[in-house]
Amino acid sequence: MEGKSYQRLPRVKIREMRDDYMKFELRDTDASVANALRRVMIAEVPTVAIDLVEIEINSSVLNDEFIAHRLGLIPLTSDRAMSMRFSRDCDACDGDGQCEFCSVEFHLRAKCHSDQTLDVTSKDLLSSDHTVVPVDFSDSAGMESSEQKGIIIVKLRRGQELRLRAIARKGIGKDHAKWSPAATVTFMYEPDIRINEELMDMLTLDEKKAWVESSPTKVFDFDPKTEKVMVVDPEAYTYDDEVIKKAEAMGKPGLVDIIAKEDSFIFTVESTGAVKASQLLLNAIEILKQKLDAVRLSEDTVEADDQFGELGAHMRGG
Amino acid sequence: MTSKREEKMKKMFGKPSAESEDYAAVRELFRHHIESFDHFVTAGLETMLNKIKPIEVVDSSTGTSLAIWFGKPFLFPPQKEESKTARGKLLPFECRQAKVSYTGKFMADVYFKYNDGPAIRENFNFGQLPIMLMSKLCHLRGANPEKLVSCKEESSEMGGYFVLNGLERVVRLVILPKRNYPTSMVRNSFRDRKEGYTDKAVVIRCAREDQSSVTVKLYYLRNDSARLGFWIQGREYLLPVGLVLKALIDTTDHEIYKNLTCCYVEKDESCDVKKYEKGKGNVGTQLVGERAHIILDEVRDFITRRQCLEHIGGHFRPLMRGLEDESDLSVVGEAVLEDYIFVHLDKGFDKFNLLIFMVQKLFSLMDQTSLPDNPDALQNHEVLLPGHLITIYLKEKLEDWLQRAKKLLQDQINNKSKTFDFCSLVNVKKVLDKNPSKHISLAVENMLKTGRLVTQSGLDLQQRAGLTVQAERLNYLRYLSHFRAVHRGASFAGLRTTSVRKLLPESWGFLCPVHTPDGEPCGLLNHMTSTCRITSYFDAQGNIRNFLNIRESILTVLSELQMISSVPKLVQAGPPANLSVLLDGCVVGSISSKVVEKVVAQLRKLKVSASSVIPDDLEVGYVPLSSRGAYPGLYLFTSPSRFVRPVKNISIPSDEGQNIELIGPFEQVFMEIRCPDGRDGGRKDAFPATHEEIHPTGMLSVVASLTPWSDHNQSPRNMYQCQMAKQTMAFSLQALCNRADQKLYHLKTPQSPIVRTSAYKKYCIDEYPTGTNAIVAVLSYTGYDMEDAMILNKSSVDRGMFHGLIYQTETIDLSDQKSRSDRSRKFFRRSNINKNSSIDSDGLPYVGQTIKPNEELYSIHNEVTNESRSIKHKGSEPVIVDYVAIDGKKLLQKASIRFRHPRNPIIGDKFSSRHGQKGVCSQLWPDIDMPFSGVTGMRPDLIINPHAFPSRMTIAMLLESVAAKGGSLHGKYVDATPFANSKNVNEETPPQSKTLVDELGEMLKVKGFNYHGTEVMYSGVYGTELTCEIFMGPVYYQRLRHMVSDKYQVRSTGTIDQITHQPIKGRKRGGGIRFGEMERDSMLAHGAAYLLHDRLHTCSDYHIADVCSICGSILTTSFVKPERRVGRAVKGLPPIRASKKVICHACQTSRGMETVAMPYVFKYLAAELAAMNIKLTLQLNNAA
Repeated sequence: MEGKSYQRLPRVKIREMRDDYMKFELRDTDASVANALRRVMIAEVPTVAIDLVEIEINSSVLNDEFIAHRLGLIPLTSDRAMSMRFSRDCDACDGDGQCEFCSVEFHLRAKCHSDQTLDVTSKDLLSSDHTVVPVDFSDSAGMESSEQKGIIIVKLRRGQELRLRAIARKGIGKDHAKWSPAATVTFMYEPDIRINEELMDMLTLDEKKAWVESSPTKVFDFDPKTEKVMVVDPEAYTYDDEVIKKAEAMGKPGLVDIIAKEDSFIFTVESTGAVKASQLLLNAIEILKQKLDAVRLSEDTVEADDQFGELGAHMRGG
Repeated sequence: MTSKREEKMKKMFGKPSAESEDYAAVRELFRHHIESFDHFVTAGLETMLNKIKPIEVVDSSTGTSLAIWFGKPFLFPPQKEESKTARGKLLPFECRQAKVSYTGKFMADVYFKYNDGPAIRENFNFGQLPIMLMSKLCHLRGANPEKLVSCKEESSEMGGYFVLNGLERVVRLVILPKRNYPTSMVRNSFRDRKEGYTDKAVVIRCAREDQSSVTVKLYYLRNDSARLGFWIQGREYLLPVGLVLKALIDTTDHEIYKNLTCCYVEKDESCDVKKYEKGKGNVGTQLVGERAHIILDEVRDFITRRQCLEHIGGHFRPLMRGLEDESDLSVVGEAVLEDYIFVHLDKGFDKFNLLIFMVQKLFSLMDQTSLPDNPDALQNHEVLLPGHLITIYLKEKLEDWLQRAKKLLQDQINNKSKTFDFCSLVNVKKVLDKNPSKHISLAVENMLKTGRLVTQSGLDLQQRAGLTVQAERLNYLRYLSHFRAVHRGASFAGLRTTSVRKLLPESWGFLCPVHTPDGEPCGLLNHMTSTCRITSYFDAQGNIRNFLNIRESILTVLSELQMISSVPKLVQAGPPANLSVLLDGCVVGSISSKVVEKVVAQLRKLKVSASSVIPDDLEVGYVPLSSRGAYPGLYLFTSPSRFVRPVKNISIPSDEGQNIELIGPFEQVFMEIRCPDGRDGGRKDAFPATHEEIHPTGMLSVVASLTPWSDHNQSPRNMYQCQMAKQTMAFSLQALCNRADQKLYHLKTPQSPIVRTSAYKKYCIDEYPTGTNAIVAVLSYTGYDMEDAMILNKSSVDRGMFHGLIYQTETIDLSDQKSRSDRSRKFFRRSNINKNSSIDSDGLPYVGQTIKPNEELYSIHNEVTNESRSIKHKGSEPVIVDYVAIDGKKLLQKASIRFRHPRNPIIGDKFSSRHGQKGVCSQLWPDIDMPFSGVTGMRPDLIINPHAFPSRMTIAMLLESVAAKGGSLHGKYVDATPFANSKNVNEETPPQSKTLVDELGEMLKVKGFNYHGTEVMYSGVYGTELTCEIFMGPVYYQRLRHMVSDKYQVRSTGTIDQITHQPIKGRKRGGGIRFGEMERDSMLAHGAAYLLHDRLHTCSDYHIADVCSICGSILTTSFVKPERRVGRAVKGLPPIRASKKVICHACQTSRGMETVAMPYVFKYLAAELAAMNIKLTLQLNNAA
């Protein structure tokens, strides 16, 4: 038992990186790590979101809870979130939002004076902290529309008014989806596609074309000059087995051999804008580390672990 | 003229010509309600008043007589009485909020006439009559959506209902027998009528111009004669047919004989007859002559018409109102014939002809040359419309009022009081004041409020209760269905036979085969198809029809078309040779059976053509000659309240859509209508199709036509969906802020379905969406999706999926609460002492405030005692005050508070797709643990189990999933109209090469998705690929109104029943759920004795009883009060508890007292038995 180490040194290669989007390869590790990373990114990287709303005046068509719910779902820039405190752990305050360590205060005052409907948007939310503001989408949209107005909260007609105070707090996606910084995180196993050239040459031109067409995604291509079938984009393959089924239907089983590489993953991360996609990954790794630290045995927990008996022994590596 | 016609057609079939006419198709669905009330307002009321007979009061001492009758009515739009002078419009929303009725003043002229003096007109106020919304008297009539919104209504408000005490009530459409059509019937109850009666009769429901009707039955007797039966004041009277025939017109026995036997021609009379002899259509037999003899023989003592009339008059004089003292019996006799026999006809001659026709039909039924009509078939039905119901009810009330007035006056005359002067109109009016005229409208209002008729006569209706229902605004579809529902009649609900509930082919195209509830009202409560209309008094231009003119012009057309008129009294040969022509129950002539088909075709042509005077909804019921089929004839109907629906007449060249014909259920049975798929539907060449359906979906109701691809589902699933659509928590109303409904369900985040049928657009369903496009994965994932449970994604719910609200309004009227004993005035005011309470200074709660159970809600101030009392919020969950409205009078006495209950999805809430697939949320599963798609990273909103499909065969749900996926990828809606491929398939085009699945699969493939809608997914927990590809796609899901929060029941201890000491039942009172016999059986089967004992004894009525072991009684024990010994208590020690001493009364000792644990009911049983002189004794031992 002793001595054998299962330690691997995973490698990350970033393919594409934008503020709200990232694609990277994760190699030399297994599905558990990859999935842990995905899960942490979705549910455990903290962000800041509006959690408490005090409504002073609301004469809009939407009721108070509805507006509060909509406010909560507005992504706020949460770069500071990692260093903030959860308001439940905060000693400095009683969670009423006056505390700089755990909360950020917002104000919203809007009243419609004209006959045109007034859109109250996330831009109207005034933050007490310039680092925590509603996410601005205008630059990422390529400046094509100069009047990007942000996320609409409610529309007001003449005479209607909305006045409120909101407190944003740190939280994680596990508690409520509004704290989730990731819109989508997904990974796939990197496929290894090998075409059996011998069998392929036995196919007619039309058969080749039909076979290439059978995949809904463009994994293969047919080169009319060389009359060869090539793999153009292995990662477009969705493991739907369509080409394998097609090959079998054509009486050529084994025409293509596709294996999922067990240890390399291609990740796609889309952020809500609260945290940059790259930062999201770093934060996720940080959180994962912290979680592992919590699990790792420290001297003062040995006693406690004795209570767990076999489990404790197992965790100690016995 | 053609353009006019086009316009008419546009109006009828809802082709929007302008933007403002968006709601035209929806409006069409409500039209029959409004039109019937419009007719009541514009003409029906006046006709009815004119039909009410004058009363005559005679002062026998002076000989002066006073006649009283009704004149013109005046009905006013609803008005608000702000002060004595100023009046304003009363708008419906004000009525809803203030819980008052939307009524208009009803005045009418009443004429008084002394002897032969001049008629004096007096205007009487008959109170406040309920006004139907959107009718001609409603302030909302003709308002465009903007105006409606400014009146605080829905922009699509359709009206058609009444607002009574703030509640919206609709008159239920009830099936009635078709008016003015003699139906032959076989019923066992006829035989039990009297000795000598058979089970066969011909029945006709005759309707007067004022909608009141009298049913006349013609019974066949075993001695081959016939009796005419009719009802007067709740009793049936029977007259010999011969007598009535002779009484109707001056005639001879020979003439009657000739008329009766015209349907049978003896063989040797002409060679022409021979042709028909073997063939079809022989109605008469040689027995007809003998029967005619018998009929005439019965009344041989009566020779002249006057004799007959006098005979009838003599018998009926005491029953005839106002004719009790008539000396001329023949006048009474004529009145009987006029008032009770064939009331739809005026002339005796017409009545005579109709009676002859009926006798012939009865004979033919007897001889089995024709079949009885099915009284359950829609063919012989029409519908009771709100306007008509109110007319007949009001008529009876007004007649009663006149009769009571007469009685009052007569009493005054007889009393000979000095103050009363009969000749003074002022005095007469004073007497009439004792008979308050305002109660008339109140009676109508109460009828609409309760749906109950308070009547002596029954108004010739089958039921007296359940005529109105509340139009629940649970969601738009439910609301809409209230107006499209047709009920078979409450009397059929109790019937044990199921024949009335059957779906008959006659109702094809008129009643939806899918949209009927299952369970108790199945088949009785039907819904009209979306194309079905009901004929009214208004033509397409909105003008009132003149039925006299219409009938006249039909007659001229008919006589041009070789009809032999019946007006000169000529006896015509009957069926095979000639067919009788009945126009609205009047025998107008006969037509040769050789030309009749041409005549029918010509009539249909005229019906459709715009230039003719023949109305477009004329029903040309041609019953052809047949061997032992239905009784032949040509039956024409122009009357209102018939069902009609549009079909294409393909025998007429189709130029500019002028070939749309409205047909009724009576004629449909004998027509050849083909499906528009271009095939002949198995029709033989002998019967070529003359008509074609417009679209196959025309046979579905509005709700049923919303199910996507319902033609791919197993049929009961479509029925379930129709029910569930109506229980969906949806976007109920747009004018929510102005409503004060008792309970409203509201979905906060609705969506428009991606996969939708054409009906969605036509009926503006997107104004009131009913669900959410949820991403549904079909897999067995955690085990929490077993048995129709479904797993919701917690994050989706966090983000607002299926979030909902319940609005509840509580109206407090302090002026009502005034009890008789204290006359103190109460009003809302906050108590001065408790300033920091949650109640505002006006005594009502703040808007937006959350109120928890048992917190103060409002406070009432009593003026006399000068005390304030606060009322607490009852109910088990916290509520938010949404809205507080007060009645703007000086004293704050009436307020309504609207509460809001947030209802976000929790475990136990019910959801359903649009395919009858309902399920209960079993878990709110964390997003990260849900399986995710490798390509898109998408996690499903909802997981259902694949076992939901094989046995239920809801293929359309799978199609919807694929189609919605394709639709969302391509960014467009997908049309899912059922039967789309059976429309306009020409013979030349080859059968469609592409199936629906191919089409949908292609959409996915183009976007790089699996052709079959499956996706490769990874476990959210382990990150490994799932072995199967998972079928995933968006499906439109509805949230049903059944929520655990309203249903859960919890009890450990609590209130118990006073008598049995067992826990009470009922969720509201904190009761328990019964652990009944079946549950007990299963416990026994498991051998769970302790559990059983716990449930049935320990947790129920555990009781320790004292039993006397000497006499064995448990009832004779009683406590002996221990004598109080003072001072024995030692200081510092607790007082010694005196031991309870129990003695037996019977034995006068406490020696044998033992305690026994038993259920308390046992003791109760012993007491009950003792009351019956049965003694129950127990024998105690310690064996156990």
